[in-house]
Amino acid sequence: MRQELGGRAAVAGVGMTALSRGSGRSELELAVEACRGALADAGVGTADAVLSYHMNDSVGAVQVARALRIEPVGWHNDISGGGTQCASILGDAAMLIASGVARTVLIYRAMNGRSGKRMNVASIGPQEAFTVPYGMAGPIPLFALAAQRYLYDTGLTEEHLHAVVAQSRDNAAGNPRALRREPLSLEDYLAAPFVSTPLRNVDCCQETDGACALVVTGVSRAPDAPRIHTVVRGGGSGCSTMDVADDVTRIFSGYVAPRLWDESGMSPGQVDVPVLYDAYSWLVPRQLADFGLAEPGDIGDYLLKRAHARVNPHGGLLSEGYVHGLNNVAQAVRELRRAGGVALVTGFGGSYGSAALIERS
Amino acid sequence: MSPYAPYWEACRRGELVIQTCTACAHRIHLPAADCPRCGSTALTWASVLGHGTVHTFTVVHRSFVASHRGREPYTLAWVDLPEGVRVFGSVVGCAPEDVRIGLPVTLTFEDDLPVWRPA
Ligand SMILES: [Zn+2]
Repeated sequence: MRQELGGRAAVAGVGMTALSRGSGRSELELAVEACRGALADAGVGTADAVLSYHMNDSVGAVQVARALRIEPVGWHNDISGGGTQCASILGDAAMLIASGVARTVLIYRAMNGRSGKRMNVASIGPQEAFTVPYGMAGPIPLFALAAQRYLYDTGLTEEHLHAVVAQSRDNAAGNPRALRREPLSLEDYLAAPFVSTPLRNVDCCQETDGACALVVTGVSRAPDAPRIHTVVRGGGSGCSTMDVADDVTRIFSGYVAPRLWDESGMSPGQVDVPVLYDAYSWLVPRQLADFGLAEPGDIGDYLLKRAHARVNPHGGLLSEGYVHGLNNVAQAVRELRRAGGVALVTGFGGSYGSAALIERS
Repeated sequence: MSPYAPYWEACRRGELVIQTCTACAHRIHLPAADCPRCGSTALTWASVLGHGTVHTFTVVHRSFVASHRGREPYTLAWVDLPEGVRVFGSVVGCAPEDVRIGLPVTLTFEDDLPVWRPA
């Protein structure tokens, strides 16, 4: 069934602070700078609605609205969650616009992810009662367990993971915002320390201080801006539920990809810019296959041939930095402004997450 | 009472127990208050045989649990049991590089925690 919100809202502005490993600033200061940048970029002056997502590691929408002198503020919400939200928050904003609840929605994610509260100890859910006593906490060993089985099931090796990370570094080489821009040889990759096998430190995204913001408004106010075409959010059993999952390597894309194509009426071949949530290297081939952007049986050769060079042209979360995926969405907007076409953006939270298609003709 | 309490009590006796639904015979782990399949709350506890197969594993080289820092590398795994459930634990009694998916393992206990060693 086609979505009715399709094409009624557009991303009119993007704003971002510098990305760093020690901002020396509060989340509020970071958020305000990114939001001001996005509002100026959109040329809309102000917004009447404010949305954010965080994991109790940021500043709330009310404080940011006040600091921006959006008073009184209209619809405002702090959505609980991390990477799962970065694509679906476009849907939250588009629903507010399409329903007439808001005219212009400001979205931000602000975090001191390196110098402040770090993701590597974030809760992974109630099964922690059974994992922490063994020395397992946070997302990295969880997604390492899934990655180990994924390599076993697919026959992919550390050479293929290297191809993902090395391509990310190459893509970031021309991106002045990126935290990692230097080439990564296979030798250097293999010499990098493991965090939790098969994931080396370079297979994991860059913990980052910074903020990113987007302005979403009705298409009549921003006729040339990239339009939010379709947004899906969902999930189920998989790497988030390893106690019961048939396939512990299944991630959100296994659930949302079929719905994305069904509800958009588009096909994988129409995607010009795949911007995939790459908090861990193995998520790139998993999503390429799930979204139908590469043949599952050929994925190894696909990676070694660097056929994925068009994925995350800014270097993604692996190399640019990690503003919980919202910086990936910002890049999708930049790419569409430059060359038009269709961008796919995704949000990962284990076997739950989201995806959006954005389009500019 | 937490559905976890009988589990940890059994561990202190040196037993790994899982639940069985008396309504639909479904085997349940992690411990639950009601059956994930049929919703029945009539669940019983029974010990497992203590054999399993490594479904997946990771060797932790950098721990994010304070009590385990300095103990790396250590191996964590999900283990498939013939009873039809998957349990979490560590793999001990061999070098981390000898652990692989499909490895047959046997139950043992360390500090009242069920752990697994190569069979
Ligand atoms: Zn039952």
